[in-house]
Amino acid sequence: MTSLVLSAWPDSWSREQRCTATMVAAAVVLALFMWLLAAPLAAMPEPIGPAAQQFAEGTRVTVELTLVSGLLGVLFGVLAAVGKLARLAPVRWAASFYIWSIRGTPLLVQVLFVFLALPMIAPGLALSDFNSAALALAFNVGAYNAEAIRSGILAVPKGQTEASRSLGLSPFQTFREVVFPQSFKIALPPLVNNCVALLKDSSLAYVIGVAELSNVGNRVQAATFQPVPVFVATASLYLILTTVLTQISGAIEARLDVEQRQH
Amino acid sequence: MSHLQPQAVAAARAPLPPPAPAQEPLIRAEGVNKHFGKAHVLRDVTTRFFQSEVAVIIGASGSGKSTFLRTLNRLETHDSGRIVVDGIELNDTVKNLDAIRREVGMVFQQFNLFPHLTVLDNVTLAPRRVRGARREEADASAMELLTRVGLKDHAHKHPFALSGGQQQRVAIARSLAMSPRVLLFDEPTSALDPEMIKEVLDVMKDLASSGMTMIVVTHEMSFAREVGDRIVFFDHGRILQEAPPDQFFDGQENERIRAFLGQIAH
Repeated sequence: MTSLVLSAWPDSWSREQRCTATMVAAAVVLALFMWLLAAPLAAMPEPIGPAAQQFAEGTRVTVELTLVSGLLGVLFGVLAAVGKLARLAPVRWAASFYIWSIRGTPLLVQVLFVFLALPMIAPGLALSDFNSAALALAFNVGAYNAEAIRSGILAVPKGQTEASRSLGLSPFQTFREVVFPQSFKIALPPLVNNCVALLKDSSLAYVIGVAELSNVGNRVQAATFQPVPVFVATASLYLILTTVLTQISGAIEARLDVEQRQH
Repeated sequence: MSHLQPQAVAAARAPLPPPAPAQEPLIRAEGVNKHFGKAHVLRDVTTRFFQSEVAVIIGASGSGKSTFLRTLNRLETHDSGRIVVDGIELNDTVKNLDAIRREVGMVFQQFNLFPHLTVLDNVTLAPRRVRGARREEADASAMELLTRVGLKDHAHKHPFALSGGQQQRVAIARSLAMSPRVLLFDEPTSALDPEMIKEVLDVMKDLASSGMTMIVVTHEMSFAREVGDRIVFFDHGRILQEAPPDQFFDGQENERIRAFLGQIAH
């Protein structure tokens, strides 16, 4: 499935061209999908057609939730991974505590905590339902990303750091220019897994009233009493989104695969 | 070749440095000790390295020669003693460290090229990031260096597409790009197939004749004899002998070293 789009381009194109074309195509498909979704949905029979606007809006919210928390989650993941490998013990403890507490508690509790409990603890931090959900999801996926990125960093041979440091690059330059690009490539498959899981987990924002795709599905179902077509439609929309996501990530992976081990 | 031929010290245990010449040594090691856990891997190592000198360090595996080389740019720390490079003492002050590593290049047994960068970017990374060179100038001088090691046609390939000998020559060009005052070689040909050793040694000979200061850990005795100004023999973490190559290889009186050379020859 991953290489479906990737191998559809002309044989004469280079690997880089195919990958770039795939990423552009997938991004365009995603944008068009979100822009024009209401039209095909409106053409569908009861009970989907009349609720097309709602479904389109819910899909947009789900994608936004995934993008925002996904990007923040990579940032949290990198910070926590670096923190866990830091020389200063308190930094290591903080990173370990973060990963341990997030991975050891249900996401549902985390979403409720950020929305309901956080404003009690810090009154300035009363966030909207969307922002609460995005923050909770970002913290959650960040903890899982941290482990993926940490193992990626550890998989880069020590000789790479030694070569970079003996050329005079600082520890930070060494991380940014030499270690991180290599570890990111190693960590990419598990990161994509986390991102697909995140897209699906964003449905938990439903409990604090965010009008994302699952919430919309349930509302339409409650109004029409037709759960079968409504949830088939809802699930199909998720499937389309996860498929687009894996196509993009497959292209990124192939782009980074300079050794062409997959061919 | 060196105009400063440090005098031979052929005594069996001779950690005495060669008599001070008119010139300051580029690198000074005094009473350097190092432990790995309980293993005492460097024992009171004292020696000096001079500008434009080619010093070849030999010894059995586990004798501490690679460890000593790695202390010279602080890839390994030493427990006691002093190491002074170009007037700067190697200690825990990080500022010193980055300054020294810019002046001391290193070539590794496993090449350690950056696999995610092209050959050209491998060579230009340090000049651009550390010296702040613009891309065009960095590329131009990198192409000169790649031409010098015979690889200008491979500039836009990634390291995986090159043979071991070619990769090691790129690694040498990468080190030279920082215009170091001294180049350290840690068994540069030990990971190579026999037919590729010569191309790397030829580049190293060319460097030596251009006056580059080199400290080379190697098992290539013909290189040591032909190019070396001084042989430093390590045994159980000590410098057992320092001597010019002809004296070391032809007039060797030490039983232990004769036995080592006999084994190498077969």
